[in-house]
Amino acid sequence: MPETLTVGNLEAWYGESKVLHGMDFSVRAGEVVTLLGRNGAGKTTTLKAIMGLLDKRSGSIALNGREIIGAAPYDIARKGIAFCPEERGIFASLSVRENLLLPPKVAAGGMTVAQILELFPNLKERLDSQGTKLSGGEQQMLALGRILHTGARILLLDEPTEGLAPVIIRQIGRTITELKTLGFTILLVEQNVGFAAGLADRHYIVELGRIVEEIPGAAFEGRLGSLKSYLGL
Amino acid sequence: MTTILGVPSAVLYGQLLLGLINGAFYAMLSLGLAVIFGMMNIVNFAHGAQYMMGAMGAWFLLNYLGIGYWWALILAPLAVGAIGIVIEMLLLRRLYKLDHLYGMLLTFGLALMVQGMFSDWFGSSGQPYSIPQALMGGNHLGFMFLPNYRAWVIAASVVICLGTWYVVERTKLGAYLRAATENPMLVQAFGIRVPRMITLTYGAGVALAALAGVLAAPIYQVSPLMGADLLIVVFAVVVIGGMGSIMGSILTGFLVGIIEGLTKAFYPEASTTVVFVVMAVVLLIRPAGLFGSKPEAAQGQPQSSLSVPAPSARTQNLIFLTVAACLAAAPIVVYPGFMMKAMIFALFACAFNLVAGYGRLVSFGHAMFLGSAGYVCGHVAKTWGLPPELAILAGTATAAMLGFVSGWLAIRRSGIYFAMVTLAFAQMVYFVALQAPFTGGEDGLQAIPRGMLFGLIDLSRPANLYTFVLAIFLGGFFLIMRLVGSPFGRVLKAISDHDARAQSLGFDTSRYKLVAFTLSAALAGLAGSTKAIVSQIASLTDVHWSMSGEVLLMTFLGGVGTLYGPLVGAFIVVAMQNYLAAFGQWVTVIHGLIFVVCVLAFRRGIVGELIEFWHRRRRAPAATQTVLRKVAVATKE
Repeated sequence: MPETLTVGNLEAWYGESKVLHGMDFSVRAGEVVTLLGRNGAGKTTTLKAIMGLLDKRSGSIALNGREIIGAAPYDIARKGIAFCPEERGIFASLSVRENLLLPPKVAAGGMTVAQILELFPNLKERLDSQGTKLSGGEQQMLALGRILHTGARILLLDEPTEGLAPVIIRQIGRTITELKTLGFTILLVEQNVGFAAGLADRHYIVELGRIVEEIPGAAFEGRLGSLKSYLGL
Repeated sequence: MTTILGVPSAVLYGQLLLGLINGAFYAMLSLGLAVIFGMMNIVNFAHGAQYMMGAMGAWFLLNYLGIGYWWALILAPLAVGAIGIVIEMLLLRRLYKLDHLYGMLLTFGLALMVQGMFSDWFGSSGQPYSIPQALMGGNHLGFMFLPNYRAWVIAASVVICLGTWYVVERTKLGAYLRAATENPMLVQAFGIRVPRMITLTYGAGVALAALAGVLAAPIYQVSPLMGADLLIVVFAVVVIGGMGSIMGSILTGFLVGIIEGLTKAFYPEASTTVVFVVMAVVLLIRPAGLFGSKPEAAQGQPQSSLSVPAPSARTQNLIFLTVAACLAAAPIVVYPGFMMKAMIFALFACAFNLVAGYGRLVSFGHAMFLGSAGYVCGHVAKTWGLPPELAILAGTATAAMLGFVSGWLAIRRSGIYFAMVTLAFAQMVYFVALQAPFTGGEDGLQAIPRGMLFGLIDLSRPANLYTFVLAIFLGGFFLIMRLVGSPFGRVLKAISDHDARAQSLGFDTSRYKLVAFTLSAALAGLAGSTKAIVSQIASLTDVHWSMSGEVLLMTFLGGVGTLYGPLVGAFIVVAMQNYLAAFGQWVTVIHGLIFVVCVLAFRRGIVGELIEFWHRRRRAPAATQTVLRKVAVATKE
């Protein structure tokens, strides 16, 4: 199976302080892969570095074998990577519909609005509300929904369960499973180990800006004990 | 003839029409400002100059190329918009991560440059631009005569305003704009070229100003300064409406125009000041503005102030004494008249620096204190025959009172809004000075007697006068030096760093700001009063907004937030005026250029950069502090 996204020796800085110290990992087509780690380990930074949102980064980010680390941020999205940021990034001055349709199409084959609304029926009633008037769970669905519409096949999801009720978290989990069956490739950043356990094909443990361990999905349950030391649970 | 509330109806309708026309221009200009501010967080001070360039462009096209109004309506905005795009790409782009005030300062510099150049080529008198053939004449509506061109301007401006509103609020492009206003990074991550969008937005906003300029050309006289005074009123409109909403800007623009028109009909004396009175009332009742719901935008990186600890009190006193000795000995080699002028401006700049540098309340209206104190001092000395010390006291007290009242209103806002509010108040004072009976209007007060200080010392003797000015300057400077080092000064600095944090520590921050502002006004008034005694005239120059600009220039050139920066800056600027006077309007261009260079290249000013350089060479801990600060700022993002 061809590798889709390969990150090699990725380093990144916020101003003068170095946050990523050589991340190495890959996500293959159709996989769900998680980055797990404590606060400040560098998970979100990794996603931002892939999207080109940091001032300074070095190393390699290859998409289907083509180097993209030199590309401008707007160009990375156009190559087929979609980003769902932490805290959802819903625009307050836009309606739900405008939020949903905001990201431009980057490739053919994106989901139609009707399909997205089928996936997230809650949004149907609220299309003309102001984006931030939605509940946290609805906002998360909107943030997920809007990147499905673009045609991008690789999704970077930053803590989609943050601050949500368990019932909503289960719903998000079902959605991610469904997206996997639809053939999306997903890189998921999580702190909620229980949520990640049931979803991912592989897990990477991030510590101090490096990958310290890779765990296959099947072995995850058995390793929970030793993981607790990494994750400070 | 019918009258309404004592005013002939024809006059009333006529003034209402005029108000509506003015309102149309307020609306179009404040709309452009709002769009640019929303996208770039820059208060485009060059907006007035760009409006003027539109009108001028139309005039040039007609008189040199024979291209008429209708083509000018398209070509002039395109050309000015293109210039705007170049400005954004070369200059403004470097400022996005800085405090919003830098954008205002840079565009202020650009406005000075453009206005200076046009004044030099064109002379400052107005030129008529005739109404296009198709829109000559007018119609009797039964109750009034409506000239066709005026009807066209109102209709066109409504279409332009609503069109802009529709694009921003109802289209896909508008959705990109609004989203990028909130979170440019995320929009970028969705695959939209935000930097290019920002460039085009600035170009469009500027083109809108130029379009308004072309529309205005046949109504107002075309002149290089037509935009400057208009822009100040537009700032007041922006403060009244709040910059949050497009529709708000449009409605406030027309509303203010109509209020102005009504005032002209019923009480013409107040017509130039009514806008500012409305602004004061709005600040009292709804500080965020009629349509403003957004809280004050978060400030960017803190002003690049010095991270170097102040020298010890002993060193400070030593430096002070050295400076005092130099100033005392200077008349041996330098023309004393120049020295006195420079010291007076240095005191003015130091007073300004007290609020701008240490309190981070950058006022764009400090001329009102200098000028009004000069008038009062002159009037008291000349008409009432009071001795100079009492005249100066009266002037200083007036400035302090004015500072207290305007400060009380202005500190309700901060940052760029504070700048706009103070600018607007100063403009109001200017109009009062222009019209009030005791100021002498355009002529000003002349032949103000110098008199006998304390009844003993004859100030008409040059040596006495010099000593007197020197004593006042050193006294004022010493006071500021001690204030800055006192607990009061430290609290002021803390507030300027982080207002909310200082509040949470239990400081009544608005009281501190008000005290600092009043003190600064009083010291500026002291400078103004002394100036009136020394130069024996008090004129409109001292209350004009360009004077407020000059004090900003002195302070930023020398080093804002440094003790001696304003002193150095004042000497340089006054020397430039004296020795470059032959260049006429080019002095304004040079002023503008200095602003631009200061903002782009050395934001700490001459003295600030010298201190930094000195400490970097000695590898003092100051350098590490700067690095730490940079890191702290970067991680916050």
